[in-house]
Amino acid sequence: MKYLVWIALLMIISGCSDHLVWVMSYEKEYFAQEKMSMAPLSERAEQEGHIFLIREASAGGDSSFQGGCGCR
Amino acid sequence: MKKILLILMIALTLYAGVTEGDRAVDFTLSTLDATQQHTLTELKGKVILLNLWASWCGGCQKEMPEFFKLQSSYANNFEIVTVSIDKNAQNSIDFLEEVSQDLKMKIPFKTLYDPQKKLAKAYGAMGMPSSYLIDKEGVVRMVIVGSFNHDDIEALRQKIDLLIKQ
Repeated sequence: MKYLVWIALLMIISGCSDHLVWVMSYEKEYFAQEKMSMAPLSERAEQEGHIFLIREASAGGDSSFQGGCGCR
Repeated sequence: MKKILLILMIALTLYAGVTEGDRAVDFTLSTLDATQQHTLTELKGKVILLNLWASWCGGCQKEMPEFFKLQSSYANNFEIVTVSIDKNAQNSIDFLEEVSQDLKMKIPFKTLYDPQKKLAKAYGAMGMPSSYLIDKEGVVRMVIVGSFNHDDIEALRQKIDLLIKQ
């Protein structure tokens, strides 16, 4: 029984080994790039924010010169 | 159970990389402009601050001006050696020139280049930036993970002065 537990444990651990990759901090060059951020393009993020505001909150735009249609 | 703990401790110790009291790992690296090569051995007899950095790393960008000022305040016996791990050396060169222009100072330290990140692997760098204060005998006396601020630099300066006197 004891051996079976050990074998099961080893199988579980080895199962993870193929999938878990520890990315060291010095290997994170690509993660540091702007395109990896949640909002990679500032212009697009602004537009998405504007549309979100109109769709979800019906606030009529997020600045004084825009209408409430969500289009620019 | 004791055996398992022992194996785990040994494995973690091996993984930890260079720690205080260890002999600094020697290297031969070329400069960012690829015109010269330098080794750690040639700096024996000096106190060294080995800094692993990259132009894409925010903490590295923050502390770099402090290194310019720190190196400029020491004429001899202390040398900063920065090792860039950028994929593109030009990014590092551009960043250093930018800092140089902002501070109106020439780059006062050695700027080496390690695109294969061999040194970061050999030292087991756990964060970016990582710095290693090495004494005159080539023994690591301080491991600093993360960026320095102005106060940290003052504490570092005291440690450097102490090591220079030894």
